[in-house]
Amino acid sequence: MGPLISYDIISQNSNFLFAFLIGIGFGFVLEASGFSSSRKLAGVFYGYDTVVLKVFFTAAITGMIGLLFLSLFNWINLDLVYIKPTFLYSTIAGGIIMGAGFIIGGFCPGTSFCAASIGKIDAMFFIGGMLVGVLIFAEAFPLLEDFYYAKNLGIPTLSEKLGLKDGVVVLGIIIVAMGMFWAGEWAEKKFPREEY
Amino acid sequence: MKPRTILAIVFITLGLVMAAIPQNTTHPYKLTPEQLLEQVNSGIQYFSPDQIADMIIKEDPSFLLIDVRSLDEYEEFHLPGAVNIPLPDLLSDEWKPYLNQDVRHNIFYSNSTVKANEAWMITLQLGYKNNYVLQGGLNYWVETIMNPEAPEATNPNEEIAKYNFRKGAGMKLGGAATVTEESNAQPLPSLPKIAPQTNKKRVQGGC
Repeated sequence: MGPLISYDIISQNSNFLFAFLIGIGFGFVLEASGFSSSRKLAGVFYGYDTVVLKVFFTAAITGMIGLLFLSLFNWINLDLVYIKPTFLYSTIAGGIIMGAGFIIGGFCPGTSFCAASIGKIDAMFFIGGMLVGVLIFAEAFPLLEDFYYAKNLGIPTLSEKLGLKDGVVVLGIIIVAMGMFWAGEWAEKKFPREEY
Repeated sequence: MKPRTILAIVFITLGLVMAAIPQNTTHPYKLTPEQLLEQVNSGIQYFSPDQIADMIIKEDPSFLLIDVRSLDEYEEFHLPGAVNIPLPDLLSDEWKPYLNQDVRHNIFYSNSTVKANEAWMITLQLGYKNNYVLQGGLNYWVETIMNPEAPEATNPNEEIAKYNFRKGAGMKLGGAATVTEESNAQPLPSLPKIAPQTNKKRVQGGC
């Protein structure tokens, strides 16, 4: 609901309401597509189930095409879309921690809540661990602060870095995504698992 | 054909279309005529001469006076601390960091309010924040601050207090402002510390 708040069309509080409703929809679809199964989620690392890769990349290219077309018709102002600034070192460290947690725990943060809501006990432990991690990070923040803010790259985009038009980068990413889907399907055939 | 094949074809087709059409570099207008009219009607862009005089005397760092008249007129007379951005130069890159920022109040002034309001409207339409206009312009400034008219003794106390303030302000500012004997090359004030990034607040989000 980003642009609507920027233009003060809806208030911050109504935004929370919309976020709540969208969140319920998101959780429902996650659960319905089997994302509350940690075996399914971990499958992407072992190659026997790449549905995670396929779903998230499909979401990314759908969102990308949608935003670009809407901006082309002047329906959305891309300047108002929030892009998280990139702090290179903490992004790399965070990615490693997140990936390791994903393999070990079998959930990513969102899906762990999804699985806990249908009563999965491992997901509840996962959430507990996440909260402990948050607490440790918050308490240790003064020590980590320099590292956390190191190497601020601002908000680099692929099209700026490559010096290409947004549209060309979009086409490139779509082709890369299709290649990954194909590789994922290939891996599923190569490393099949009967029961998981 | 499998649904996934169809989907793949759709995606690639859309990508090809996207790659083929030129990048949209136009920016939609920030305000509709109705919104602009509302702003103009409400008159919120105005700072009164009394407010400005008070801020100059207190050396309030949170505002910057911008003289939008020509350089000659600026050199002849300008308000203390004002910088000169002649209206034709308003859009030059040199001045953008001064105009498009989120830290200081910029107050445009000209002899009347016409040029200042023009500058204000342009910056407003560009989506810049914190730009204002000196009410009545320099003419009204001279009338109220430099040569305030003494109210009659029967006036309410507020009027008399206002007059006393104006007289005091005029004496303080008059000496320095009417005769600008110090060098005309006014040093530029420092830029606001926080660099301007966007026209509107971006809303944070995450997964």
